[in-house]
Amino acid sequence: MKSFILKTLALFILFSTTSALASSSTYVENAGSSTHKEETYQSQPFTEMVGGFLKSTGIYAFMYPDPDELTVDGKEISDFHKSGGRILMILVTFFLFWLAIRKGFEPLLLLPIAFGGLLANIPIAGIAGADGFLGIIYNMGLANEMFPILIFMGVGAMTDFGPLLSNPKTALLGGAAQFGIFGTLVGAVALTQMGFADFTLQQASAISIIGGADGPTSIFIATKLAPELLGAIAVASYSYMAMVPIIQPPIMRALTTVAERKIKMTTLRHVSRLEKLVFPILVLTLAILVLPAATPLVGAFMFGNFLKESGVVERLNDTLQNSLINIVTIFLGLGVGSKLAAEEFLVPDTMFIMALGIVAFSLGTASGVIMAKIMNLFPGHKVNPLIGSAGVSAVPMAARVSNKIGMEADRTNMLLMHAMGPNVAGVIGSAVAAGVLISLFH
Amino acid sequence: MEENLIIEGFKFMGLGMGTVFLFLAVLILMINLMSVITHKFFPEPKANNTNTANAKQDNKKVIAAISAAITHHKQS
Repeated sequence: MKSFILKTLALFILFSTTSALASSSTYVENAGSSTHKEETYQSQPFTEMVGGFLKSTGIYAFMYPDPDELTVDGKEISDFHKSGGRILMILVTFFLFWLAIRKGFEPLLLLPIAFGGLLANIPIAGIAGADGFLGIIYNMGLANEMFPILIFMGVGAMTDFGPLLSNPKTALLGGAAQFGIFGTLVGAVALTQMGFADFTLQQASAISIIGGADGPTSIFIATKLAPELLGAIAVASYSYMAMVPIIQPPIMRALTTVAERKIKMTTLRHVSRLEKLVFPILVLTLAILVLPAATPLVGAFMFGNFLKESGVVERLNDTLQNSLINIVTIFLGLGVGSKLAAEEFLVPDTMFIMALGIVAFSLGTASGVIMAKIMNLFPGHKVNPLIGSAGVSAVPMAARVSNKIGMEADRTNMLLMHAMGPNVAGVIGSAVAAGVLISLFH
Repeated sequence: MEENLIIEGFKFMGLGMGTVFLFLAVLILMINLMSVITHKFFPEPKANNTNTANAKQDNKKVIAAISAAITHHKQS
């Protein structure tokens, strides 16, 4: 026993000396490259100490910004973005808190994003920098597009394709609503053309995907095509998604007559379990054949859905729907928040992105409704045009809006389940549209 | 170069919307095909229909009773 203790002790001493040697050698290397200066403490008069400390306060940093501070990718930052801009951004994050808490705007994502934004605008600490924890989170899962994919798995596990399977033709409505994406793309390049903004085609595509009304897809595309616009795109995407009950109804009412709103749809047929089980494989097979570029999104989505419908992996299904998506949502929100740093967010582009985002939502809503009216010109079961607006994804909010407007016209007309069909088809539609955009640039 | 950008945008739109619609159209066909096949070869064991019909009628009775109660309550 005694010898054992001695041996352990000897090993411990040996190990600590070698590690000490190793660390001292790295220290020498570091000093040589002078990337990281190790400050040795020197005794100094008390007044100097106080002065030095005062210079490291936030108040001083806001008033006299550090001229040598650079962005993450080594660009210079203007004085405004280091002083007043930061304060302004902190106020913006307070506004986002208010939207999330008081107005209930997608609080699950908007709160982490806004708090991340608040942290990212703290001077000196450099939380959003490459070594700060927000920067680490960003590089860990956003820069490589990992988090949106994980979220998609969870969303897949939460999605029920039953309504779509029982009335497949409503999938066309989910397709039509993607017009919002491409219409906005044209709008964005037109803005550039007219000289108001300066968007490249990549940036225009990343902005237009807001019209897909699908947070993870927007983030996925933005990190791939225009990471510099990620913050604005994510904030626009999630805040407009939360505003669906405000944006959509006027458009839906303007485009439909009362008689159309009263259309009753035939009851949905029962969908067998086997159909639900085959469906994810079917979609994935199609994606493989037609558009492999969309398979990261579609594949993750269908993986989640397949686990759910298989019915034999309840534990995994439960994890995807709850723990995993919750954890990833926290990281995703904070990571996106790191892009709310003043120097990246307080630029004219942000204003255009906000404006284009609402155009995208409105266009998508309108084209979904119009598509439903076109479908009614053909023989067959009539479609209530109100469910067309649900094609913009934004599950399940858009379907609830359809239901609500339908109930206003006729209190016995329940459209919710009918609207879920185009709603989930919209998710597939946006993923396909995203795949097209990716394949065009690679 | 100036003119190109908008035309480029429209090209994207054509290709994108075309692909989305094609994808969903094929998907609709496949779903219909699949449902025909599954119903033909793998029919689900049917629950006895009479029961569900009875349940529906019961529901209607309950709804009628509730609405009668509500109107009564409103009148009084």
